[in-house]
Amino acid sequence: MTRLHDLNFFIKLGIAFALMTVAWFAPNWQSGVPFALLCVGGLWVAKVPKLGSYLKGAGLLTLMVIASWMVNLLLQGVAPLDALAIAARMAARLVATTALFYFVMETSSPGAILAACSAARLPPIVTLVLSLTFGIIPMLRDEFERIADAQRARGMEIDNVSVVKKLRFALARGVPLLVQAIRTAHAISFSLTLYGFDLSRKRTTWREVGMMVEPHLSWKDKSR
Amino acid sequence: MSFFSAQELTVGFGTSEPLLSDINLELEAADRLLICGATGSGKTTLMMALAGIIPKIIPNKNYSGQVMLEGVPLSAIGSDALFSQIGFVAQTVEDQLWDLSVEDIIAFPLENRGVQRAEVRARVSSLMQQLNLTELSGRRVLTLSGGERRMVVLAAALAPHPRVLVLDEPTTGLDPAARQRLCGALAQAADTVSNVIVAEQDPVHLASITQHLAIISDGTLSAIEPLEPALDKSEMWEHAGLLAPRRKINRPAPPEIGRELLAISALRTKLTRASGKPVLDDLELNLHGGEVLGVIGRNGAGKTTLMRSILGLSAIASGGISIAGATADGWTTARRARSIAYVPQSMRQILFHMTVEEEVGFALSMGGNDEDADTILARYGLAGMQETNPFALSARQQGQLGLACAEASGAIIAIIDEPLLARDLQGRALLETFLTRMTQSERTVMLVSHDLELVDDVATRLAIVADGHIPFDGTSEEGWRSAAFDALGWPAPYAAQPEVTS
Repeated sequence: MTRLHDLNFFIKLGIAFALMTVAWFAPNWQSGVPFALLCVGGLWVAKVPKLGSYLKGAGLLTLMVIASWMVNLLLQGVAPLDALAIAARMAARLVATTALFYFVMETSSPGAILAACSAARLPPIVTLVLSLTFGIIPMLRDEFERIADAQRARGMEIDNVSVVKKLRFALARGVPLLVQAIRTAHAISFSLTLYGFDLSRKRTTWREVGMMVEPHLSWKDKSR
Repeated sequence: MSFFSAQELTVGFGTSEPLLSDINLELEAADRLLICGATGSGKTTLMMALAGIIPKIIPNKNYSGQVMLEGVPLSAIGSDALFSQIGFVAQTVEDQLWDLSVEDIIAFPLENRGVQRAEVRARVSSLMQQLNLTELSGRRVLTLSGGERRMVVLAAALAPHPRVLVLDEPTTGLDPAARQRLCGALAQAADTVSNVIVAEQDPVHLASITQHLAIISDGTLSAIEPLEPALDKSEMWEHAGLLAPRRKINRPAPPEIGRELLAISALRTKLTRASGKPVLDDLELNLHGGEVLGVIGRNGAGKTTLMRSILGLSAIASGGISIAGATADGWTTARRARSIAYVPQSMRQILFHMTVEEEVGFALSMGGNDEDADTILARYGLAGMQETNPFALSARQQGQLGLACAEASGAIIAIIDEPLLARDLQGRALLETFLTRMTQSERTVMLVSHDLELVDDVATRLAIVADGHIPFDGTSEEGWRSAAFDALGWPAPYAAQPEVTS
């Protein structure tokens, strides 16, 4: 199933948009919730990395969406069961959407996106924007986790503490994360100039690109 | 007309004194020049100016003079043409990397210039084989070790067949085998690369591929001289603030062994290699008060996993870790950190406060040290910098802050990973201050490094990590003659080589 990760970025994006549309047009919670669960299950089947972190986020999102819609609808005088049905439908739409785009983002490296864009002969500016948009979020997420490890290694107890303290310590990661984000932006800008990236010239790619995008060179077949 | 030259090159960044003053140098085709200087001497600025990065990418108001390639000023060459003729490897290679795969980074300069796919693949494949990077195929560069990243950036610099290579401290973080591969690659590139200009603090690593030497000190460059005879001029090196390459060393006297502070027994990690074998398996190690344990091993041997396991950042499948006699298996990383201070290669990784004083204050809050922050900061050369943002410090100053924080925490064990500040006299003195204070108070230090000269100089005991085990654990003198060290295929440190000791 990890072969799914090597699908061409644009095919993944197309599938994600198509399934998202299905999720948003689901007529009621009875069809919306199972579809959302199917999307989340799909992440597990496709062995998408860091699924646990996603599930935590999705769980929190579901609770927040249901709570906010329930409060809103109850204040408008909607019956509790009807309000719950609407809230569940809304939450299902969002969970399905985030699950689908989590799959696209988590399984598409900036290099694979660059390759797909270059092979499609897209203008360099589009290539760059797409690679950075989808590539930088997992990179910053990894950085966030690395900083948490650093905090632990410096003696900050961030695991066996209350949720409030956890949040406060998470905020403390903002400073190094911001510094890292600025350094990353500098590194990207520096490497683009140094390595000859030119907005007026279309790029090529070393990768074989079709339905799938080649993840690495094959050392068994060097004749290609 | 020389092939590559600099004439009256002056660069400043708004300070009263320019960082580089009236630099002149002339290189003929096929010349290889080594430029040595202490931290802060102006090496990096000079390398960037010679590569054309200053002022092409980093503008500089105080730039004057000329750098010329075949008589053409670099300022007259467009950026694209310039950077395909001059390859550059920065001291901080992270500045040249983002989250691409190994192949992507190497291919990037060719893809951007529209080179056809078959040609790009052939070049990437050839460079990866030449630099022994095939095992890293498909890996994202940000998951690689510092040394591996440097080799990947070197491959990217070589990819467009540059005529001049400018390398700023390219051996940083490389193990001796990787340094040999680097020398091999530079020797092979001689067919197409006319000039190689390398900045280093230690001249020995690249002596085999460079013929000439210039010393940079306080922003001025000495006359170029032959390298080999200069290696014996101890005074010259020390005057420039550098450790003399062929110096005699004063090995620390065998310490009085104190109580056992760290004991690792039958350690097996959950983390496995691609083959399914645990990264560390049945590993035994202990550390006593008063010791400095040097830990060496190939890239990928398991040194980082060993450090992470001790710190509690890498899960253990079986075996145990005791700290000062107490079983630490169930301890969180934070609890372990009250006993173990960690100083990584890049301190930026573990800073998270807004001022230097807050960083040291946080370490003092561990409760193991009664001194005040000012005293500790002054000891490590950071007096007057209490209010400075840690991220605004230079890499060297961040290393100093790392030592200050480790001491402030009062931890009984310090783990230091590749202390790059120890490569010149001033930085070495700061490291030795830290080691002395730790060992004299019956605490202990684990020093993980590829710098065998450093390990030989300061370690009282040596452990070699290979294939997830520790096949040698004993004195340094025995270690350099051991079968485990032979198996690495590395040259022994200068002072331990037979012709010197005999």
